[in-house]
Amino acid sequence: MGSMNDLVQAELRKITTTGLWWGLLIPTVLVALGGGLLSGGFGQLMIEFTTSAEAEQLSDVLGVTPDQWKFSLLGIGRTINIVTLFPLVFGAMAVANEIGTRTITTTFLTAQNRAQAMLAKLLVYALWGAIYGIATIAAVALGVVLTSGSSQMPGIGDWAMLALACVLASILMTMFGVGLGALLPNAAGVVVLLIMYFLVIENAVQFGLRLSGTPETVVGFLPNGSVNGLTGSVVVDLFMAKAGVVPEEGIDFLRIIAGAGGAQAWWLSGLIFFAWVAASFGGGWARMTQKDIT
Amino acid sequence: MHDGSGLIAVQNLTKHFGPVAAVQNLSFTVSPGSVTGFLGPNGAGKTTTLRMLLGLVRPTSGTATINGRPFHQLGRPGRVVGAVLEAQGFHPRRTARNHLRVYTAAIGVPDAQADQVLTLVGLGSAADRSVGGFSLGMKQRLAVATALLGDPQVLVLDEPANGLDPEGIAWLRNFLQSFARMGRTVLISSHLLAEVEQTVDQVVIVSRGQTVYYGPLEQLRQQQQRRVLVQPSDIGALAGALQAEGVTAIEQLPDGRLAVSGVDSKHVADCALRAGVSIYGIQEEQVDLEQLFFRLTSGQYAGHVPAPYQQGGWAR
Repeated sequence: MGSMNDLVQAELRKITTTGLWWGLLIPTVLVALGGGLLSGGFGQLMIEFTTSAEAEQLSDVLGVTPDQWKFSLLGIGRTINIVTLFPLVFGAMAVANEIGTRTITTTFLTAQNRAQAMLAKLLVYALWGAIYGIATIAAVALGVVLTSGSSQMPGIGDWAMLALACVLASILMTMFGVGLGALLPNAAGVVVLLIMYFLVIENAVQFGLRLSGTPETVVGFLPNGSVNGLTGSVVVDLFMAKAGVVPEEGIDFLRIIAGAGGAQAWWLSGLIFFAWVAASFGGGWARMTQKDIT
Repeated sequence: MHDGSGLIAVQNLTKHFGPVAAVQNLSFTVSPGSVTGFLGPNGAGKTTTLRMLLGLVRPTSGTATINGRPFHQLGRPGRVVGAVLEAQGFHPRRTARNHLRVYTAAIGVPDAQADQVLTLVGLGSAADRSVGGFSLGMKQRLAVATALLGDPQVLVLDEPANGLDPEGIAWLRNFLQSFARMGRTVLISSHLLAEVEQTVDQVVIVSRGQTVYYGPLEQLRQQQQRRVLVQPSDIGALAGALQAEGVTAIEQLPDGRLAVSGVDSKHVADCALRAGVSIYGIQEEQVDLEQLFFRLTSGQYAGHVPAPYQQGGWAR
């Protein structure tokens, strides 16, 4: 398998010899940092509000314990959801860019076969997805630390779980992008389509369901719903574990805020999105191994 | 694994793009040690054939092999065959050296090879410049450099002269000839015979997706009849005298000269002397391969040109 190592090395060099990866890493870190600052600040604001005398009286009457609620977690979940759009775009450019610049010809001429070339790309982009994920959680954490007091800070265990969900989501989003970029190899077209879908289309569907009063469970099985469910459900679980008493009707609201409305458990959401990744990459794989390069 | 013979073999190769037959039942072989020209008008199926040979396009039927194997069974193809293709590209913001280092990694050869081929094609001083700022000629040189990275036994070049300046064309010609003299195989396509006439030893001529000639260029040259171009003092008298001697292939050229086929200049001059006609100029025409090439490949596109030569009224 010496040739496979060589192709992985070639894919690494393709990424490091052009600026796209850090060009996308800058907004990744900035948005993650901004999201972290807002999440921490929002949590701090909520805690100051709920510990005011009147609010305390109210919560005592209701039998809930809002002063223990880590609102910052919800913002962290939302931030990760949005920031993973950058590794998604990065992944989508993997094949689409090579088709656009016609370097794909040389790539295929120097690989033993197209399957190996595609596999090498997938492995390297998965690694880069992890790099984006680590940068994201680090920037989010920095933002939260800067704006929240100790009561709003997630614990060490919470951070570990958040980091796991974040890196996993980032890797999967990158791989989903690689597949779709191979399936629809037009760099501008695929990026616009992905951003429209993940930011607008699926959210519009979800909003429509919500307005019509239909259960949103179906959303948890769609690409955006499932990948958001991966991080969102982790966040809600962490929130609930330390929240003490939360009213039943509040939980659904929390899930929506965390981006996990209609989503399954975090691990199941992850598996569902993994199935989407497999479908996307499988389609891209089939297209690229069959396509006449003219 | 492949047999290391350096042989390219195309057998009954056919490719349909939807209803369009780009290549039809094409067969030829290319041997090592010589430069083979792959000639035909634009749209004759040259590029598609080369792309099928290189595993980039799937043939509808037939086979194309290098060293006895289809491209995907070559193992490490970059070390067996190098290719310069028209639709081969570069990332505009990657430097020439980095471009090559991507592929030294893929092929599995030392990185030093990148600098060696850059020097070889004369791009040594542009190694750290982004390819986006390269001229067409520089890009073409870089494409040749990329093809040479794996020190391949076989080189396939699709219209490599496009974009090259005269100096670059001369360099490429010498390079390909010395490459072939090392016992390696070179297949080079062009739509202009004149462009590669001085470079190639063998030719494969295709038209409408089919082979119309395949063999040594020398043999093709010999197929062409010689003509004597003569400017006599009295056209009618000389033509009459020649006809009287049984020479009938006489044509009057628009510039007033006679073109006489099937005899040499000595014969024409002697005949003129006997007829008492002065000769102001006489020459044996150089073999016009381009015309022969055109005749072999004509009719692909039904365009007609007026033919004033035939209005002279002389027996042909």
